[in-house]
Amino acid sequence: MSRTISIEPVTRIEGHARITLQLAEGGEVEDAKFHLTQFRGFEKFCEGRPYREMPALTARTCGICPVSHLLASNKACDDLLAVTIPPTAEKLRRVMNLAQLLQSHALSFFHLSSPDLLLGWDSDPAQRNIFGVMRADPQLAKSGIRLRQIGQSIIETLGGKKIHPTWVVPGGVTEALPEEKRDSMLAMMPEALRIAKDTYAFYKTLVPKFKDEASHFGTMPTMFLSLVSPEGDLEHYDGFLRIKDANGRIVEDRVPPHDYQRIIGEAVEDYSYMKFPYYKPQGYPQGIYRVGPLARLNNADACGTPFADVALAEFRTLQEEAGPITSSFHYHYARLVEIIFAIESIQRLLKDPHILDNRVRARARGNRDEGIGVSEAPRGTLMHHYKIDDHGLITWVDLIIATGHNNLAMNKSIKQVADAYVNGKDVKEGMLNRVEAVIRCYDPCLSCASHAFGQMPMVIDIQDTSGQVIRRIARD
Amino acid sequence: MKALIIGYGSPIRGDDAIGPLAADRLDRLLEQGALPDWIEVQSRHILTAELVEDLRRSDLAIFLDAAADTPPGEVRCRPLQADATALSTMAHFHDPRELLAWCEALYGKAPSAWLISAGGAEWDYSNCQLSHTASAAMERMIDQVMERLGLAAPMPAVSLGNLR
Repeated sequence: MSRTISIEPVTRIEGHARITLQLAEGGEVEDAKFHLTQFRGFEKFCEGRPYREMPALTARTCGICPVSHLLASNKACDDLLAVTIPPTAEKLRRVMNLAQLLQSHALSFFHLSSPDLLLGWDSDPAQRNIFGVMRADPQLAKSGIRLRQIGQSIIETLGGKKIHPTWVVPGGVTEALPEEKRDSMLAMMPEALRIAKDTYAFYKTLVPKFKDEASHFGTMPTMFLSLVSPEGDLEHYDGFLRIKDANGRIVEDRVPPHDYQRIIGEAVEDYSYMKFPYYKPQGYPQGIYRVGPLARLNNADACGTPFADVALAEFRTLQEEAGPITSSFHYHYARLVEIIFAIESIQRLLKDPHILDNRVRARARGNRDEGIGVSEAPRGTLMHHYKIDDHGLITWVDLIIATGHNNLAMNKSIKQVADAYVNGKDVKEGMLNRVEAVIRCYDPCLSCASHAFGQMPMVIDIQDTSGQVIRRIARD
Repeated sequence: MKALIIGYGSPIRGDDAIGPLAADRLDRLLEQGALPDWIEVQSRHILTAELVEDLRRSDLAIFLDAAADTPPGEVRCRPLQADATALSTMAHFHDPRELLAWCEALYGKAPSAWLISAGGAEWDYSNCQLSHTASAAMERMIDQVMERLGLAAPMPAVSLGNLR
């Protein structure tokens, strides 16, 4: 008799989701699916609104990455205005984007994934949480809090508040950076870099323990999509789209963000509210790719900052085979490299002699009827695409969210982990935690991707072929 | 003595904003010199992990929040204890008791803490106004804050119409 195991909600991720594992009569995993069960519909209810409202509206998509939406949305609005924003405004926006990446990666690594990494996947689930981490390694927990605080402080210093700042506007930013604010942000950077480097050094000692997980946590050939700078280096704010295949061959390069529809298609499935983007030339679902820290490091020729480049070189030794790092388990490692990069880059940008310039905003009316903004959110490439009418009212919206790009890969990853670890005849909590943990590697933000809403207890249902629940395991 | 006042809630969900709006009002009083400088006021959308850094440096913490399970307009004040089981399933916001527990676990102590809440009447999306009921309750929330701070001095009136 075949059965279905349902894990709901998936814990220690942003938002709510369900995983189902379809078991065959022998107990082996036949199929695995990652479901987004809630719908919010931002693309639709933005229609009819003035385009200048879009940054504020779309930032409300999420409480964890509003800055990312704010930037991508304003870039789409810059495009509608047909302006090039002042260079200082671009640098200031970059600082805010990197601060967002810093605080978001810190949350993912230190608070969401460290319970697994530090305490083990099979440890007592009652202890396998942030309090368990605090007991096992209080300094690690303090470091996570401090890095988040530094990232959030920079966002607040620039934007006036930590969540939903309004300082970034179409055409640039509303205010130049005062010297004392620049100095206060710069003063935090040495401490931030010390914490980041110490954490990176510590994590390197842990990695060899996870050989088995690194072999089964989404270790698969896929393509990788990200922005890269015009020089081919690591990029989070602008630049061009690049796609590498599993062998490291560049299959798309220097693709202007405006051409994203040429290479990215979007499919839907009846079991999830999250879209399934794919690489168009290969079709669906063969056109599977990954985005985010792993993809960015795989795609970049270099980071372009001293310590991050050293870390990037070490990252590339994580597997013996040449080519891109194929295990999604190494998203964690990539996040730490990017934290170092973010701190070094913020430092560099704030020391730029023009960072205090007063020209920070280009003013114009809507000069195009279509605008596209692409940037790198912490979780991957974020695309905002708007169309407006003659009155500047939104007529059509498409948002391709970082987490959505990874949808095919996440589904494939849970199947791989379930194949490796789940024994359908004797389901143990640690097995299911590994299934959840592979999703945590991607650090999905489901509020963004599915616009999830609500709160549910975790329930694992084992059903027979007729859908009858024959066993239920509940987690509060 | 250092006191930290944190008002939290969504500014676009009607009466859910009463916490941050009360905090904004207290912050203006602080700027005007009507409150002593050992008080720090923060207005937040949600409670996030890094607030632990501010809490650990405080002797007294007062959280201001809206309540959906309290009769509209009713103001309640209750002590909060650190509680490591008050875990949020979402990672980007926290229960105040959880943050206090973080303080205890990491730094060996947490400030004494109070939750002052006001029952809300209207929670509509994209509603940036307090209901009359909640507006009236804010006065009583401020009174409770002053009592917890041991400050009885009358405060200058601030027009509720200018709060947002």
